[in-house]
Amino acid sequence: MHELHHPAPASYLGMTAQEITQDVLQRHESPGRQFWTVAAVLGGLFGLGIIGFILLLSKGFDDRNVWGYYASIFAYIFTVAQSAILVSVALRMVKAHWRRPFARISELFAAVGLFNFFLLIPLLWVLPSTEGRRSIWFEWPGHSPHIWDTIALGLLVVLGLALLYFAAIPDMAAVRDHTTGARQRRYQRMAMGWQGTPHQWKVLQVGISVLGGFYFMFLIFTHMMISVDYAMSLVPGWKDAIFPAFHAIIGFQSAVAIMLVTMFILRWKTGLRRYLEVDQFWGLGKLLLALCLLWFYFWWSGFFTYWYGRQPAEQSVLKFLMFETYKVPFFLAFALCFVTPFVILMWNIVRKTTWGPVLAAIIVLVGTFFNIVRFYVPAFSIEDSTLHALENVPPANIPGVADILVIVGALAGAVLAYMLATRIFPITSIWEMKEGLLLQRVRTFMKIQIKVLAKPE
Amino acid sequence: MQERVKLSDARINRDLLRSIFETPKWYLILVGSLGLVVLTGFAAAGYMINHGLGVTGLNRPVMWGFFITNFVFWIGISHAGVMLSAILRLVQAEWRRPATRAAEVLTVFSLMTAMMMPLIHAGRPWRVFYWVFPYDFARGVYPNVRSALVWDPAAVFTYLTSSILFVYIALVPDIAVLRDRSTGWRHVLYSILSLGWRGSVRQWKLQLIAGILLSAVILPIFVSVHSIVSWDFGSAMAVEGWHSTVFAPYFVIGAVHSGVSAVVTVMIILRWMFRWEDYIRLEHLDALAKLLIVVATTWFFFFILEFIFGLYSLEGPEVALREMQVFEMPWAGLFITFLFTGYLIPVPMWMFRKVRRSIGLMLFTTILVNIGMWLERFLIIVPGLARKQGFTFTWGGYTPSAVEITIIGSTFAMVSMLVLLFAKVFPLIPIGDAKEGMILQDEIRIGKVTVPAVMREE
Repeated sequence: MHELHHPAPASYLGMTAQEITQDVLQRHESPGRQFWTVAAVLGGLFGLGIIGFILLLSKGFDDRNVWGYYASIFAYIFTVAQSAILVSVALRMVKAHWRRPFARISELFAAVGLFNFFLLIPLLWVLPSTEGRRSIWFEWPGHSPHIWDTIALGLLVVLGLALLYFAAIPDMAAVRDHTTGARQRRYQRMAMGWQGTPHQWKVLQVGISVLGGFYFMFLIFTHMMISVDYAMSLVPGWKDAIFPAFHAIIGFQSAVAIMLVTMFILRWKTGLRRYLEVDQFWGLGKLLLALCLLWFYFWWSGFFTYWYGRQPAEQSVLKFLMFETYKVPFFLAFALCFVTPFVILMWNIVRKTTWGPVLAAIIVLVGTFFNIVRFYVPAFSIEDSTLHALENVPPANIPGVADILVIVGALAGAVLAYMLATRIFPITSIWEMKEGLLLQRVRTFMKIQIKVLAKPE
Repeated sequence: MQERVKLSDARINRDLLRSIFETPKWYLILVGSLGLVVLTGFAAAGYMINHGLGVTGLNRPVMWGFFITNFVFWIGISHAGVMLSAILRLVQAEWRRPATRAAEVLTVFSLMTAMMMPLIHAGRPWRVFYWVFPYDFARGVYPNVRSALVWDPAAVFTYLTSSILFVYIALVPDIAVLRDRSTGWRHVLYSILSLGWRGSVRQWKLQLIAGILLSAVILPIFVSVHSIVSWDFGSAMAVEGWHSTVFAPYFVIGAVHSGVSAVVTVMIILRWMFRWEDYIRLEHLDALAKLLIVVATTWFFFFILEFIFGLYSLEGPEVALREMQVFEMPWAGLFITFLFTGYLIPVPMWMFRKVRRSIGLMLFTTILVNIGMWLERFLIIVPGLARKQGFTFTWGGYTPSAVEITIIGSTFAMVSMLVLLFAKVFPLIPIGDAKEGMILQDEIRIGKVTVPAVMREE
């Protein structure tokens, strides 16, 4: 009965529903001066990114190599932020109560998804037609990826925003009921007449489940399209059935990592200590450990089949992406996405802290960046994608000033989009926390305090 | 968990030990009949060994047929044990309790059956000793350690050893219960096997730690087994459709799909046979069906990846193979049957709560899955081999002979018989786990409603 070796019950369980509402709404109403200072700095960095983007634009769309790092940062934000919503979706599906304090933190990444959608637009001009080259679109018109990728990413963004909005309706009603003036009128419109009737609750639960399920499936589908159209199909000879699944695993891993880092910052800066406790970091730390192992397994499955096969075309791809041209980002990715976080997280004593999983998460996020770079930058550096196999391997593309400005600017823009979204939606899901109070009890069992969790149908 | 009932320790002992201390007539008839089928299978294998592989349908270029398909199938079924036992134990899924033992036992017996298949397929099973004791290096009669075919037995035997250990460790407290309730030679046997278990705090702690450690250690073995089986195919360059990077996870998740389905089938049959309605409840089938929806959909995604990237390069031989699989009879018929039985019928049905909580429909759908998954392995192995050669005049087909069909049929009887024999000696639902579940179950009152709850960490 190792269930009994349990950390102290979450302290928000000692609060009343009213206290939670007051606490969250107070935090939501007045973010403090520091918030706006950080937002201004991020706005400045985003401005630098726009300068970098103009520098890239001045070089035109004909040379794909120029846009390699731009494509990488687009793919990085897609991989990390748009997968982060999945953390709340998946944990809600398995009815894990410990998700409650960070469910909204995860869903707010939908705002970053919207920002990232705009980053896709220039890439549509850079992506070549599929005529004469391998693609998953086979005999479809040459511009199929341009059309369908845009629709897929657009729908994913809409699904993410719908999930965020839908799951926040009861909280917006709470804001409406605790405020006055223009703010009240605004939230009254946003709450869409929410009164908390049994019918409304039922619709809410069903809606969240359906939107979450669709988001899950659509995310995997979009991972497949983006990873193949913007990376694999541009490299002659790279025919790798596991790559879309590996890309999705990278997404899941970095999603858990970004959640840990975001939770740590919010806990530290916005005083969410009563909600975001060791339980939450421990739970996500275990997930991150499992995903590190899955990262290795998926990478190994793809690598091994190529390496063992000894086919010249496949050996060239291995040399290009892993062992020669882009060996530095590959080895960094291997060390930072698998080896180091595994060594950190394999110890329960480290997992069961707030800092241990976060340290591993930061390392994973850096590793994921290099991993994405080693897929997209090489893919964009191939001049002729219609070849059967790689004949002349182009040299590594080293980032220039414009690339660095674009990377910094895009990251700043993503964080800024997230911060601004927190001004609209409370960072903590009030109704889920209150539901948690109803469905969890702390009881004494054989002299120790233990949590009792209800699992309604 | 709406259907759960409060059961006393004495009632749990009585119910779960019934299969051991009572021998109804139907049990003897059933085991006897299964034994006859198994004997027929052994006779067919003996006949084949005596007359040579010529009595099978195997011929150039299709030298892997029913036996290897069945090998992969049973390896797949063996993945249920770890999935349900180790993973659900680690994530503390409360509904795992009645399913774990059956899943673990199924793992052990299906692994044993799986290992028989390559031996029979070899035609001269005694030659396996060349692998263990290579006698003549000069003639090159020794296994090539760089071949996935050699890693296979290493992985499978490691998995078998650890699975037996896993079953045994979990069994020790239950064997002690049996020891205290038996007499004569049974008492002696159970006394030896229970290793002096007295149920002290230290012993429970050790048993718990051993279970968790074994769960964690067995997971990589579980993944490696079917990955290596997949590399038997994936590392072969000469056969169209085999050299795919997605094969390892595709095989593993497919194995979990068929394995968990098989456990549900076994649980339903056991529930009916031993009247275990209070232990194997509809809520457990519901939870397992939900798990199966996720597993099946993940497997289907990998299937789509495998298929699309088979066509991706638009290379003539690969496209021709896929066309043959999908459009030419009899492959097309098998392909459609595989798609419908493996995914398109069961998964939409599991979406409905009524189906998930229907004994008959769950039995039907889980059997369908395993028909589909058997065909899936057949369709991976045989069509590729049939078109292995470059010239059309060297292409071939494959029709299994009566000998092969008899042997394959007998493997199903053998696993069923072994599970039933196990049930005669050890409880198929862990008694300790059932009692622990009773202690940990609780209720929370919210207004006028009482919601089932459980004491646990998350």
